[in-house]
Amino acid sequence: MIVQTQFVTFDRDLHLQNGAMLRPVTLAYETYGELNNDRSNAILVMHAQTGDAHLAGYNSPSEEKPGWWDEAVGPGKAFDTNKYFVICANVVGGCKGSTGPSDINPATGKQYGLSFPVITISDMVDAQCWLIDYLGIKQLLTVTGGSMGGMQALQWAVSYPDRVKSAIVLASTARLSAQTIALNEVARQAIYADPNWKNGDYYDSTPPNAGLAVARMIGHITYLSDSSMHEKFGRRLQERERYGYDFNTDFAVESYLRYRGNAFTRRFDANSFLYITKAMDYFDLSYGLQSLADAFEHTHAKFLVVSYTSDWLYPSWQSKELVRSLIQNGIDVTYVEIDSNYGHDAFLLEVDRLAELARDFLGRLLP
Amino acid sequence: MNSSGSPSTASSVNRLANPNRNMSNRLDLDAITDIIPSGARVLDLGCGDGLLLAKLVAERNVVARGVEISEVNVRACIGRGLSVRQGNIEEGLADYRDNAFDYVILSQTLAFLDKPEPLVRDMLRVGKQGIISFENSGAWRERLRTLSGGGAGLELCSGEPRIRSITLKQFEQFSSCLDATIEQAIYISNHHVIHKMASLRAKTAVYVLRRTTSIPS
Repeated sequence: MIVQTQFVTFDRDLHLQNGAMLRPVTLAYETYGELNNDRSNAILVMHAQTGDAHLAGYNSPSEEKPGWWDEAVGPGKAFDTNKYFVICANVVGGCKGSTGPSDINPATGKQYGLSFPVITISDMVDAQCWLIDYLGIKQLLTVTGGSMGGMQALQWAVSYPDRVKSAIVLASTARLSAQTIALNEVARQAIYADPNWKNGDYYDSTPPNAGLAVARMIGHITYLSDSSMHEKFGRRLQERERYGYDFNTDFAVESYLRYRGNAFTRRFDANSFLYITKAMDYFDLSYGLQSLADAFEHTHAKFLVVSYTSDWLYPSWQSKELVRSLIQNGIDVTYVEIDSNYGHDAFLLEVDRLAELARDFLGRLLP
Repeated sequence: MNSSGSPSTASSVNRLANPNRNMSNRLDLDAITDIIPSGARVLDLGCGDGLLLAKLVAERNVVARGVEISEVNVRACIGRGLSVRQGNIEEGLADYRDNAFDYVILSQTLAFLDKPEPLVRDMLRVGKQGIISFENSGAWRERLRTLSGGGAGLELCSGEPRIRSITLKQFEQFSSCLDATIEQAIYISNHHVIHKMASLRAKTAVYVLRRTTSIPS
């Protein structure tokens, strides 16, 4: 399946949650399958922290790896593109084609850097809504995503209750916990500490790759679980028979983190990383309200909420808290806690069980 | 890595994943279906693989919700098109509003609860009526088995967790201490509803309860 990334630019003000405006706003997006005649089969998939619009298939015959959720999206898969019209867009603030800090600020003619306004999950969703309008879709059959993608799905159901028939929220939360904010802050500090970061003004010089790589290493630790690390690496040594008693890479797990960290710097912008983690930190649907339940007062989408037993980044108690708030509003919610050792990554890896769930859940929405 | 999630593992770790809930020859299902009017809002606690809820949707067009502790059973429910929440019913029903449902059902699950009293009280708050079914431990076959040294309840080698044995008389005493009124009682033996000598003859009992005093607002 060859798919092209498309781009649309909106030359109007995006009113941001912090009071600032962003203009123009370009969104990179991909679509799969066909929109049906009454435009009722559209599914919006939202990516996690460092994902992009390239959800499935290949952008070219020579591309080595398919899109990030290719196992779940395609003909006959969980999100069956023979039946559904699937859309995925890069978030505002990202660096994969949608407007973000590495783009040119029209006011200065230079890259935004830190002059880019601080954005929130709600701002990301507002921009996506423009895209859905542009595609001529009144109501989405479902909005779905894992992790930060799940936060956007929840925000959709809260911000645009009439435009969302259902939401599938995977390994996510209705508000970021102190632990997750703490991990995001450590990752940001790694970038700030890199002398190449220069307060975000590095686009004409060497980017802060060392800092960004450390930030990514922290991320990868949080995506795994104690037991999946034990299984995957244990105390195995990397390309050596015995301890080196030096500061080269001894252990397989070190080698893995270094590899992942370095690879990440080739595909991601450090400032985008800062902005996106900050957007997550601010995410709290109960902000300014008496309780989380109040956030869903006007929501009437059907929900499928899924958590994973070994996920310590977005642990099950957060999904249960979300489910309780939905139930308190009398909302139709299905909740499953999938038994998995894969940690937070389970939402990307436990595709078979998810496929079955998504098929069954979506099956009763579309006749 | 257990990616398929085998049912045997799940039921051995989840006390309330009662295998009785998945049997198709359950005597109480027809009786419960007969009680429930068309279009009712129904919450089934410990709904197993969703057999009863699916039957109620098909035959009574109810608005169906379930709570079930086992992942495998929850997935089976979703496969039947039901809205089910994975959770332990003994953690309570605090999230549900007063009178959120017309009926809250506890079928073949009472015997497996650690503390039946707070849950049944909450059932009668969340539902306008509660329906409770259980196997009658006072049935003559059970009594005979006990007398002949077979003991009450399941055999040790059954692999099932400890369960409570409940007689009709015990249940009726229980409901009176709950401030609940028994509105209807259905006794079943050999696939028939019986009326005489139920405490000895009934294999299964189905009770419809309502709280006696209204919820203070």
